[in-house]
Amino acid sequence: MRHIYKYTSPACNKMVLLVIATILAMGNTLIAQDTTATSATEDTSASTVVKKKYVKSTFEGNYLIDEQTVMVPIKGTLEFGIHHRFGPTNNGFTDLFGIFGGANMRLGFAYVPISNLQVGFGANNNNMVVDFNAKYALLKQTKDNRMPVSVTLYANAAMDTRKRTSSLPIVTFSDRLTFFNQLLIARKITNAFSVQAGINLTHFNNVEGYYDDNKNILPKLKNDHLSFCIGGRYKISEKTAIIVNYDQPLTQHPMNNPNPNLSIGLDMRTSGHDFQVFIGNYGYTLPQDNNLLNHNDFTKGQFVIGFNITRLYNF
Amino acid sequence: MKKLSIAFVFAIGIVSASFTIMQQQAPKPWNVPDADAKKANPVKSSSESIASGKEVWSLHCMSCHGKTGLGDGKKAAQLKTQPSDFTKASFQSQSDGSLFYKVVAGRGDMPSFKKKIPEKEDIWNVVNYMRTLKK
Repeated sequence: MRHIYKYTSPACNKMVLLVIATILAMGNTLIAQDTTATSATEDTSASTVVKKKYVKSTFEGNYLIDEQTVMVPIKGTLEFGIHHRFGPTNNGFTDLFGIFGGANMRLGFAYVPISNLQVGFGANNNNMVVDFNAKYALLKQTKDNRMPVSVTLYANAAMDTRKRTSSLPIVTFSDRLTFFNQLLIARKITNAFSVQAGINLTHFNNVEGYYDDNKNILPKLKNDHLSFCIGGRYKISEKTAIIVNYDQPLTQHPMNNPNPNLSIGLDMRTSGHDFQVFIGNYGYTLPQDNNLLNHNDFTKGQFVIGFNITRLYNF
Repeated sequence: MKKLSIAFVFAIGIVSASFTIMQQQAPKPWNVPDADAKKANPVKSSSESIASGKEVWSLHCMSCHGKTGLGDGKKAAQLKTQPSDFTKASFQSQSDGSLFYKVVAGRGDMPSFKKKIPEKEDIWNVVNYMRTLKK
């Protein structure tokens, strides 16, 4: 007989290494960028310097449905975001296609203190999780095509803040933590059409486990999960775009393998707001939850309606 | 009696709306410092510059100034000051430097775009785009 039991990775320190590696990688990039800038200045005496012109508005804002975009707003921008993922649409008018069936929500703030770097935090109602995140534009597509793509790194750390009880699988502090790292690459192909792909690494310090027939505790899921995403935007008017995204899990787990996600929606942008409404399979507001725990299946018509609203302030 | 009440409510609504419209002021003269007015446009008007300017216009300007610069954007009616008609000679006779200054400085309902559009080239592109609105 099998019992459900919490399984903590013996190698949960890997998450610390993961965070350190991410910070080091970002640090190296910052130094590398500074070095490049110095070289360009030195070159001015020798020859005419052509200022790099970056391609703008690859996407309308920070989000492409459930994913980040390569975009980092201009320095001094404060973003307030409201994210909703409603219940399953399967019940039809009974709960108005899930809209009245409860929702996962996130309220978040993000700020751009220096060019190309955004830092933020958010609060999620699912398990009362708080998240801290950083996003750095490593490379930006240039108009002369010398740099044909934009590349951005995104990382977050999230913590389950619920009070510890015997019914929750939380023993130590590290059991509360989950992480998500993402490398995004995008290209604005025409003024209307942009595409983006990304590779994602999710890490849960603590995953659900079970007793096998020999009373050994085994994990249902691996602690690390790899996936990729691909998406795009097509502008149908000056302020409105169709947005799509697809996520494919890559890691095979002992059981409870997560399902892929297919989503489509509309993006409406104004000077200070970005509003997205969409339908898709992902029902959580944090990328690590979506990537590891999604069991909505588009082949079975299991979709949820959701929206992202962001308000931008410039300081 | 019911029809009369409905008609009365409509009448009140129309009168209120007309007051709102009547209260919108015509733009006052906006003096630009000489040095700014004489500033030359460093970005040559080209299809690329105009396309870039149009993109910025669509995002930041169109909601008040309208798609073609007539001052008939969706938000225009909520403003205290009626946005100018950019298609007219009175607007188009201003120097590029004056238009650049007004976008950067802002006044009253017109916000400053100094922080929202941090790159000067983008603002000059908008100036080049505004020239295409002339009729």
